[in-house]
Amino acid sequence: MRFVAKQPKEGINVSDTHPLVEASTLVVGLTAIFVVIVLAIIFMIEVALFFVSAEDEANLFGDWLPEDLITVAPDDDRLVEIQLLVDRLARHWPDSPYTFRVEIDDSETANAMALPGGLIIVTRGLLDRVESENELAFVLGHELGHFKNRDHLRALGRGIVLAMFFAVVTDSDVAGIGIKATDITIRGFSRRQETNADEFGLAVVNSEYGHVDEAWRLFERWEVENDSVINLVTYLSTHPESGDRIIDMKRQAEAEGWLLTGDVTPLNW
Amino acid sequence: MDGNLETLELFLNFGFPLLILMIAYFIGSHIEKRHFRDIRERETKVHGFPVVSFNTMPDDWNVSSSDMVTGSIVISLDYFKRVIAGLRGLIGGRIKTYEPLLERARREALLRMTEEARLQGYDAIFNVRLETSRLANARRDGKGVAGVEMLAFGTAVKFASRFANS
Repeated sequence: MRFVAKQPKEGINVSDTHPLVEASTLVVGLTAIFVVIVLAIIFMIEVALFFVSAEDEANLFGDWLPEDLITVAPDDDRLVEIQLLVDRLARHWPDSPYTFRVEIDDSETANAMALPGGLIIVTRGLLDRVESENELAFVLGHELGHFKNRDHLRALGRGIVLAMFFAVVTDSDVAGIGIKATDITIRGFSRRQETNADEFGLAVVNSEYGHVDEAWRLFERWEVENDSVINLVTYLSTHPESGDRIIDMKRQAEAEGWLLTGDVTPLNW
Repeated sequence: MDGNLETLELFLNFGFPLLILMIAYFIGSHIEKRHFRDIRERETKVHGFPVVSFNTMPDDWNVSSSDMVTGSIVISLDYFKRVIAGLRGLIGGRIKTYEPLLERARREALLRMTEEARLQGYDAIFNVRLETSRLANARRDGKGVAGVEMLAFGTAVKFASRFANS
């Protein structure tokens, strides 16, 4: 046999597809798949909610306290006052199946959460920042609105199912795309939930005090204070922007003919 | 102002990772093109040097000396290739972004081996083999991939007389 020297052939082991075409196909395709999965999960949770009545939920989670989720602030005197305020506000929702319980989370960030079984968590950071009872009443009323609309179960359900879903996707870059797709998909839903909870909270505040003065002053202060971009970006991800919320609430109050000014109740501490 | 914040947030969420990905792509593909150009030039230079994979020496080779020659290259993925391969890993199929990388590694390893043999005055190489090994990334518990090594080795021989045609 004769030896004939040859140059290596090009293009046998390397695909023709341009890397950018490959990249965009994968990114767009996978984002679409993630969006479809997330929408399916949201739908399945709506179906599941249909089968769990609020009474069942109240029985099941009646004395549940997720200790790995919150750090209960020890001996905070304000707890009694808040519990009394919640009880007063809850009277404006007479057919509520829940017995509301309040706990203070020992955290600097200002936040409030609605958890299954009528558990309302407020952070120490929030309590340090509210300046009148009316401000606090609106935040608590907003959380009552989440219970009324059963958003707390949706949030929990989505959290659990999505966490399970992303436990399967271990590659961090892929999970990154998935989380962003999920974020975008859920954002529309969660913003609508927040707006609905705002409406309920404002109605509760109006019934309790006879006016809505200072209901959204916390947000107004926030808007001025919050020049830190990073804070704002994380906050934006689930809640509508505070500016929009204030506009919506003013509009609601005007439409309902609620008084925009009135006697503001000072805090009891 | 609200619109600006939305834009900023969108940029932080999507634009920034995309920007890094694009920078990685342009730098990576520039290096890749340059490497392929270099490989082709050097392949032209060693053109005609017999490199064969027979595991026994052809009968008509009359050799005076022999030695083992090796050529090795350690090559790493760029960020772009790794991200795209990660996406591909979810649904399966050809990892197209890795193919040129490994092609570069194979040809470079063979070239280095051939160049070494020529430098030492050998005339041909037989029993050429290729081996790969994965180099783990020590930073992430050895789980990540730092790169791959491609090793080409073979037996280089010096002909006693010039290649005789049979």
